[in-house]
Amino acid sequence: MRSPFLRISAIAVFICILGILSIYSNTYQQEGRVWQAIYKRQMVWVLLGAVFSFVVYNFNYRRLIDLTYFLYGITLFLLGLVHLFGDVSMGAQRWLKVGGFNFQPSELAKLTVVILLAKYFSNKSADDVSLRAERLDIFRGLVLPFIFAGIPMGLIIQQPDLGSGMLILFIFFVMLYLSNVKLRYIIIFLSAILVAMPLLWNFLRDYQKDRLLVFLNPNIDPLGAGYTIIQSKISIGSSGFWGKGWLSGPQNQLHFLPESHTDFIAATFIEEHGLLGAILLVLLYYLLIRQGIKIAARTSDDFGKLLAYGISMMLCAQVFINMAMNMGLAPVVGIPLPLMSYGGSSVLITFIALGILANIDRTRAVF
Amino acid sequence: MRTKTAGFVVIFAFLLLILSFFKLILIEGKKYKELSAKNSIRLLSQPGGRGRILDRTGNVIVDNTMSYDVMVLPQDKSRLDKTLGAIAQILNVDSRELRLKFKSGFLSQNMPVAVSRNIDIKKAILLEELKFDFPGILIQPHPLRHYPYGRLASHVIGYLGEIDRWRLTKLEDYGYKTKDIMGYGGVEEKYDYYLRQEDGGLSVEVDSRGNLKRVLGLRPAQSGKDIQLTLDLRIQKIVENALAGWKGAIVLMDPRSGEIIAMASLPNFNPSVFVLRYNSLVRGLFNNPGGPLLNRAIGGSYPAGSLFKVIVASAALETGKIGVNTTFYCPGNMRLGNAVFACWGMHDSQNLIGAMAYSCNVFFYRTGLLTGPQGLHEYAARFGLSKPASVDLPYEVGGLVPHPLWKKIHRFRNWFDGDTLNLSIGQGDVLVTPLQMARVMAVFANRGKLVTPYIVKSIDNKDISGYHARIADLALKRSTIEYIRQGLRAVVNDEAGTGNVLSQLTVPVAGKTGTAQAAKGQPHAWFAGFFPYKDPKFAICVLLEHGGPGKEACIVAKEIIENMVREGLL
Repeated sequence: MRSPFLRISAIAVFICILGILSIYSNTYQQEGRVWQAIYKRQMVWVLLGAVFSFVVYNFNYRRLIDLTYFLYGITLFLLGLVHLFGDVSMGAQRWLKVGGFNFQPSELAKLTVVILLAKYFSNKSADDVSLRAERLDIFRGLVLPFIFAGIPMGLIIQQPDLGSGMLILFIFFVMLYLSNVKLRYIIIFLSAILVAMPLLWNFLRDYQKDRLLVFLNPNIDPLGAGYTIIQSKISIGSSGFWGKGWLSGPQNQLHFLPESHTDFIAATFIEEHGLLGAILLVLLYYLLIRQGIKIAARTSDDFGKLLAYGISMMLCAQVFINMAMNMGLAPVVGIPLPLMSYGGSSVLITFIALGILANIDRTRAVF
Repeated sequence: MRTKTAGFVVIFAFLLLILSFFKLILIEGKKYKELSAKNSIRLLSQPGGRGRILDRTGNVIVDNTMSYDVMVLPQDKSRLDKTLGAIAQILNVDSRELRLKFKSGFLSQNMPVAVSRNIDIKKAILLEELKFDFPGILIQPHPLRHYPYGRLASHVIGYLGEIDRWRLTKLEDYGYKTKDIMGYGGVEEKYDYYLRQEDGGLSVEVDSRGNLKRVLGLRPAQSGKDIQLTLDLRIQKIVENALAGWKGAIVLMDPRSGEIIAMASLPNFNPSVFVLRYNSLVRGLFNNPGGPLLNRAIGGSYPAGSLFKVIVASAALETGKIGVNTTFYCPGNMRLGNAVFACWGMHDSQNLIGAMAYSCNVFFYRTGLLTGPQGLHEYAARFGLSKPASVDLPYEVGGLVPHPLWKKIHRFRNWFDGDTLNLSIGQGDVLVTPLQMARVMAVFANRGKLVTPYIVKSIDNKDISGYHARIADLALKRSTIEYIRQGLRAVVNDEAGTGNVLSQLTVPVAGKTGTAQAAKGQPHAWFAGFFPYKDPKFAICVLLEHGGPGKEACIVAKEIIENMVREGLL
């Protein structure tokens, strides 16, 4: 496959198919039509995502520069709406109901922040063609972009969705680093976070504290917050080399593993397909992200380069955190596994991000 | 270049993931496989029934009925909440209460938890239908103790409760476990080892759909063994009816073997409140100052009063201190030093038979002084006083018959003749149980043999009375026995005898009344005797706590014997 778009699409669709199979596997026994239809809904989302991806692929990414603040505005507006009218589900207000569909603006916010920061840091200085970021002072190099990223981040943490908020913080750090901002600002940024952490602890909701404490020791609450981690580890650990076969993983089939079709879909998949499945899954994601990194590396346009890195690293971070969470190596935060976890917003946004990525490579060829 | 690091970070992150998967699946896999296996194994318990308790003719006193528990399989939280919500709706309770019960009863992921016990069968059927929507619900039928006669013989039977820590430490070696139900008091406790069922269990492996794949292990439930008592339910009913309204105890015993035919103690309790766990009622029973849980027939000790005169007479006759023709003069009281010891009447000159019939204190004061406290104590001990009668029921007390050394040790005082006088009429420190006095009467009924009372006739249809029946010959002189028997008969026969009310009966009765002074309030009323006189089949002892004069006890005994005759039970 010569075209990177085709390559990316093929890998993405393959991952999606694995995801749909897993969703089918752990919902087909649930009673009720809603559950039965859930894998069909995911199929619709994937098809819709592929269409969006194709549309975005044919949309010059440089026009995003002009649309950045508009996008940013929309994102903040939607996050605000969630605050006011959001659907409360599982103790958190994360969803917007739009005509029967639930939309999660925090997914959009991740992409928006990447685009915004890519635009901000890729401005050229007036007298020179090098990146302005290298010579920015601390206010413009650190504080101002942090405020930009911090507003959606704060709104998301307030929802409360600690995981997505932290992901935006991570994206901010990555963009800061890759845009050649002075190293000492980055050090200042990191030390500021370290200092702020104990203070921020008090702002966390009880369940968030629980989850962090449980992450440190899942056995303190084996039936509550630690239950998921323990069951997820059992699912993965017991799978063996070949796995237990599709539709016959007892852990998720007997509903020992909660959230087995969303955040813990990797555990579901690996229980049924074993170490082989795990390697396949990691390999697929690696190939996907490697495409992104390669595109970023060969793009000379600074905005495109930063954007491609940002999108790749965002995907990488999500995959890593989610899988680590499934293995009990990271606290349980609501980070879905891109393309696999059930959820329209995540699938759509990931497909759009991949479309942008492919378009960066396509447009680069035009230059 | 900073951008290069991005690529390295990605590679590093993914390598880390791969390595972690390797570690989790290949290195730690065995451990998680075991844990997973536990998740796909379900343990279903199969309760057995506790052994039944029957009376001597085979009538069921205690048996079991089916009751239903609602169990819920542990599952993920949202499904669990929905399941509990649905159960709560049917049972008409708060679902939060069920959730609390689930949390407190939770043992492990693969064991169902009981959230509600002893529901009625209609609700059980409704819940059974609910299973189609909520497969986590299990309706577990299990046998429940059932008392068809309510309070009847409640002290003999005892009650059931969860094993306590103290008993658990003692009984662990016999296979008792925490949360086991065991008997408390009565036959339920004493014979718990035989009565208790062995709960069976089924461990099954389920497939990924929760369907039964195969049975891994099965231990069939074993019901407990049935126990047959020596109690006669019909007589027991008569006895409890006669005692109704009083506080006290009655023992009816076969003097030839020691079989207890009836044993009643009032106030009593309804053992089913323990089974149904009416906690407030149970607490009320424990805190009740009347002591409804105390079996007064074996666990209550009272001053013997005039009943003790039988012992005094035996001791004096055996040791030759008095003879058949010995008479003492009773002027209505007796002086000892400066103290005056009263008799309840003036009896002039009389021999032993007369003294027993009229219960003359002065006669026995003098006889007691002649015999001496040590001799009295020795004979009391020979008749089985001052130690438990070793009936096969728990919490029997031994009572007390004092002697000079005892007084020195426990009261730090010397023994005076006044103490001997008090002892001679069964007052002072003398304490006996109704069962002990029935046993003493049995000696005169069977002409000289001390029987060991027992209440369990057979276990699982195997007669164990041979194991109980330890009959000791007291080696009393034939004349002593005959003479005292005549005295006991005179109590009833003589027109002025203290037990004369019993003479109206068609059955010849012999016995002795007692009016034992209590520390405060009315004296305790005693009657102990046997019937029919010639060839006794029953020894009886009636005690009315603060019942007044001994005549009251005679009236109760009369009612019992009357009814027994009417129902042809003699």
